[in-house]
Amino acid sequence: MKRITKSRRLLTAVGTLLLFLIQGVSFAQLERKLATEDRKTDLLFHAPRHINLLTVEALDKNTLHFAIMHTFGPVNGGIRNLYGLDHGANIQFSFEYALEDKFSLGVSRSGRDKFYNLYGRYHLLEQTESGKMPFSLSLMAAAGVNTVDYGYLQENNPDFAQRSSFAAQVMLARKITDQFSLQLSPLLAYFNSPIPAYSIEGDQQLYLALGFSGKYKVTPMSSLTLQWIPNLNNGLRNNVGVGIDVEAGGHVFQMYFVTSPALNEQYLLAGGNGVPGEEFRLGFNVNRIFATGGN
Amino acid sequence: MSWKRLWLLPLVYLLLVEEALAQEYQTETGEVVFLSSASLNEFTGESGKLNGLLDLDTNTFDFYIDLNTLETGIGLRDRHMRENYLETKEYPFAEFSGKFEESGQLNLNQPVMVKAVGTFKIHGQEKDLVIPGKVTKISASEVLLEAEFQVKLSDYDIAIPQLMFYELSEIQQVTIKAILKNE
Repeated sequence: MKRITKSRRLLTAVGTLLLFLIQGVSFAQLERKLATEDRKTDLLFHAPRHINLLTVEALDKNTLHFAIMHTFGPVNGGIRNLYGLDHGANIQFSFEYALEDKFSLGVSRSGRDKFYNLYGRYHLLEQTESGKMPFSLSLMAAAGVNTVDYGYLQENNPDFAQRSSFAAQVMLARKITDQFSLQLSPLLAYFNSPIPAYSIEGDQQLYLALGFSGKYKVTPMSSLTLQWIPNLNNGLRNNVGVGIDVEAGGHVFQMYFVTSPALNEQYLLAGGNGVPGEEFRLGFNVNRIFATGGN
Repeated sequence: MSWKRLWLLPLVYLLLVEEALAQEYQTETGEVVFLSSASLNEFTGESGKLNGLLDLDTNTFDFYIDLNTLETGIGLRDRHMRENYLETKEYPFAEFSGKFEESGQLNLNQPVMVKAVGTFKIHGQEKDLVIPGKVTKISASEVLLEAEFQVKLSDYDIAIPQLMFYELSEIQQVTIKAILKNE
């Protein structure tokens, strides 16, 4: 009996003390609280493009992403060919517009095989700061057409269906540390009719590959970048790329060495690659995001 | 006093505190706007999530804002601001707390100039600031606070890369407007 009274006394005393303390704290200062408990992780990659592959980086609704990408000739021509620049460039322009925060549609045009590509990206999952959602997951699909004049092939001149090719990919990415992000992209490309006249090395219809994209941030505004795309169902060389991304005044500049001149998914998978090192090609992309009002 | 009566103490204390709370004004929805005017680019960012406490008895104040709530109208610019400049993952808050001096009695709808002397903290760096402001009692239970001051980014170890000097101003003009309620 006596014991119970004693513990009750103690409880009252502790309670009183706590009350004083709590009151005391709120009296002096506001408690610091974040407005949102679990925010989306910012900037897994610098831009929606990373060397030649698309990323999980979403566009805000009603914004337009413009990218101009170039790859030049192989550097092994040496200084006489200004390390491949004399060969002229394969150039791709692309415009991608976000209809929703999670969905965007784009169109691109590459010089190689005068190729037009229509593509969409959908962002299914987005990594959050708390780790409740540990990664970002996006889907991409594309349909493209080769518009070269093959009139010289006469009756073998491919029709629209034969000139068409398709691509699809899943982009799975995680910002592992504040500096380091990694993306895995299982890729698929399908050519209705891969005739030798096309600027591709492959002769099969279906191509499967697994893309790896890595980013390592070295300063607040720049990162080292890596791309490796091993092929899964053919004997073509694997794509390798290394470079840097630099943010400057709303632009993201991406400079890299890569083994392929291809700039879209279909040609990246079917186009073939040079030997890393001596057959590297210089490449660079400029990315710009435009807000189109009303956001 | 017998131990049995001890439970009365918190009640007495609460009554006393009620008295003290009578002059405490608070908000969680104050407005903050900053203006960056660089030679090539001018833009503003804003948030409606300023948290503030104003105690007219002790003449003390405490304000803070979650910097993640600042928006400039361009999502990518916001992400760059958070990740490259403010580094909000590590330093989520801007804070200003201290004491203020009034220049007169607070009467309904008569603005009173105040001088806030306190410590401003952002990006993990602190600096003592004196910020002039205006306090107006707009109803029996509400006061309006308005203030304007400048934040020099290099004072707080926020570096602007050479390439960005034409786009981002070293001096940020900050305007604050908040209605604080006494509840």
